[in-house]
Amino acid sequence: MRFVATELTDDERALQREVREFLDVELAHGYYEPGLGMASGASKALSRKLGERGWLGMALPREYGGGERSVVERFVVVEELLRRGAPLEHHWTADRQSGPVINRFGSEELKRRFLPLVCRGELTFSIGMSEPDAGSDLASVSCRAVKVDGGYELSGTKIWTSNAHLADYAIVLCRTSDAEDRHAGLSQLIVDLHSPGVTVNPIPFLDGTEDFNEVVFEGVVVPADLLLGAEGQGWAQNTSELSFERAGPERWISPYLVVEHFLREYGDDLGPEAARFLGDSVARWWAIRQVSLTVARMIDEGRSPSVESALGKDLGTQFEQEVMARIQTLVDVEPSLVSSSAFQRLLARAVLVAPSWTVRGGTNEILRSVIARGLR
Amino acid sequence: MTVDRLLLETADRAFTDTCTHAAIQAAERDGWAPAIWDTAAGIGLPWIGVPDAAGGAGGTVSDGVAVLGVAGRHAAPIPLAETGLLAGWLLASARLPIGSGPGTVVPGRAEDDLRLAGGRLHGTAHRVAWARAAERIVALVDDKVVAVVPSAARIEPVANLAGEPRDTVVFDGVAVDEVADAPPGIDGDALLFRGALTRAGLMAGALLAMSELTVEYTSERRQFGQAVGRFQAVQVHLVRCAEEAALVDLAVQVAAREADRGDARFEIASAKLLADDAARVATRAAHQAHGAIGMTQEYALHHLSRRLWAWRAEYGDRTWPERLGRAVIDAGPDALYRVIAEGSASGIRT
Ligand SMILES: Cc1cc2nc3c(=O)[nH]c(=O)nc-3n(C[C@H](O)[C@H](O)[C@H](O)COP(=O)(O)OP(=O)(O)OC[C@H]3O[C@@H](n4cnc5c(N)ncnc54)[C@H](O)[C@@H]3O)c2cc1C
Repeated sequence: MRFVATELTDDERALQREVREFLDVELAHGYYEPGLGMASGASKALSRKLGERGWLGMALPREYGGGERSVVERFVVVEELLRRGAPLEHHWTADRQSGPVINRFGSEELKRRFLPLVCRGELTFSIGMSEPDAGSDLASVSCRAVKVDGGYELSGTKIWTSNAHLADYAIVLCRTSDAEDRHAGLSQLIVDLHSPGVTVNPIPFLDGTEDFNEVVFEGVVVPADLLLGAEGQGWAQNTSELSFERAGPERWISPYLVVEHFLREYGDDLGPEAARFLGDSVARWWAIRQVSLTVARMIDEGRSPSVESALGKDLGTQFEQEVMARIQTLVDVEPSLVSSSAFQRLLARAVLVAPSWTVRGGTNEILRSVIARGLR
Repeated sequence: MTVDRLLLETADRAFTDTCTHAAIQAAERDGWAPAIWDTAAGIGLPWIGVPDAAGGAGGTVSDGVAVLGVAGRHAAPIPLAETGLLAGWLLASARLPIGSGPGTVVPGRAEDDLRLAGGRLHGTAHRVAWARAAERIVALVDDKVVAVVPSAARIEPVANLAGEPRDTVVFDGVAVDEVADAPPGIDGDALLFRGALTRAGLMAGALLAMSELTVEYTSERRQFGQAVGRFQAVQVHLVRCAEEAALVDLAVQVAAREADRGDARFEIASAKLLADDAARVATRAAHQAHGAIGMTQEYALHHLSRRLWAWRAEYGDRTWPERLGRAVIDAGPDALYRVIAEGSASGIRT
């Protein structure tokens, strides 16, 4: 498999400068506690301002409030946000995933209803895929939506649902028929998480944060017009949703701030081993970023780089963990989440959450099966 | 700065025809492969990336490095990198004629002790690729570019891990053929980077070929009633190889593109560092997926894996991580992200 090198155009660089200048002001030091990549806290205020700037829903059509801009332009914006550890969880899922999927498969009415709000940073979405008994084997989901007057009645349990406690809606993959082909009976519903019958139970994450949830649906009525796409097409829609956005900056940038602060706090006193760590890491970071940018460019060219995306994610997330494994051998500290040192706080957080980087969004074992099939 | 596709297809055809298994084996035994050289030279491949005006075949550095990728893919046992992008580059930069026929370059290792005295060259040069077959040996000595005819020197045949000639050349007051001051910017360090770029280019090709060969073999080899490539444990090896190859290949493309524009030291150092890592990691995976057949002379894997191990050690290897890391430390935390995103253009001094 080969990638063809690309680079930012002058217009894309101009956008990058604009975003940097905006964030330099908006995220002045001390105003927020930087997070690690996607897991960085939520700020409605920041999300709305990004919306005002036209930096959410960037690729969506203008008539729904989008910018009709490219995947690479979105790459430029999210890269700047992520590398500063900006609080972006309020809009993250809606901007990356839910908006584009509604645009792709939703009815005209759904697009008019949701997309302008996504572009303004006013909606938080969650992803309702995993279930207690359906993880990697997603086609075995058992959440069930039964046809009733005017819509569906949804019952079952989703799990590991990030930010469901903050979210307005979840796109839920569920079973709408018992077709023989287990893929054929699946559909996607947009579920209002404030509907009667929805219970969101927090599941404390191992670092003490509470983004993880179990979401229980007990006879939740979902109006027929909130069916996303066609009934029975849920599997195909869901697969397309997963495939392209896998290799974005969030898949290799997570420990970036740990390294930046390492350099800030120890930079005057680093020996050869630390230098080799930095050399190895920066070279690989630079190259993996090139892969990620290339995949974004391929999507803009109308191609479907699903295998390339999986490869980018596998490379990126393994690298993230390698960075964490090595940096811990260089410092003699017992990291603490409440240290007065920013490096130690970030290090502590990263040590605790690093194992999730190769699990979330589809495990690396599953990705490798996808890549291996693509190599044949 | 897009690479000339037609050129690459031509190169691929030439090497497919000439670099057969038997021909590569024979080259290792004999230390020279005249038929392969003649074919490549006949279509100008060794001089791609050296300007027309200087007597080269024209094209960009990116073109030249891409041709090396094709050569690496086929394990072509000829001094392609040495003739044009290294010796030819040094000669052209000093406005000396680049000549015809195979050329080579003194890589300038720490143990060398070349010096000029009264217009004559003295001392010993190590690891000179194909010195025994070259028509001219080019070296940087005392801030000068010099060219000498190998027959005037004593050559002790030495080979690298892949059986490619890396001769020791003893100059015993040898009259120099050509000499000129090296222009500003042409020095031992520039040669180290240039050499690293050529090795990374060759390695990218070898890694891609090794990945493809491994996929092909494991889809044919059957055990327990199925192709071994269907076992997930084996697929992990295939994926490892493909990932490393794709990463190095892309890094090399960007490094060559930047070399055509100016300062590419960060990109070259990174590409070589990654290629060296890949030479360790991907060869291990490829050999494991092949089992015993991969350990034989009869099967082609060793043409690639042994070259990767040999090229890893040439032009740097151990120096790159620390050197790059020092540059990152000097650039400081506020520049760190720009280095990752923009490479040399960030101003980092690698
Ligand atoms: C931080 C985080 C946030 C998440 N957020 C969400 C969310 O918002 N919404 C949501 O729906 N889900 C979310 N998930 C869930 C995530 O998608 C699943 O964890 C993931 O798909 C794996 O499923 P599982 O945890 O059930 O593991 P399992 O599928 O039970 O896997 C266990 C192990 O077996 C391996 N395995 C399983 N099948 C195979 C196979 N065929 N071949 C080889 N190995 C296999 C896996 O790779 C893994 O190593 C989140 C997970 C994390 C960690």
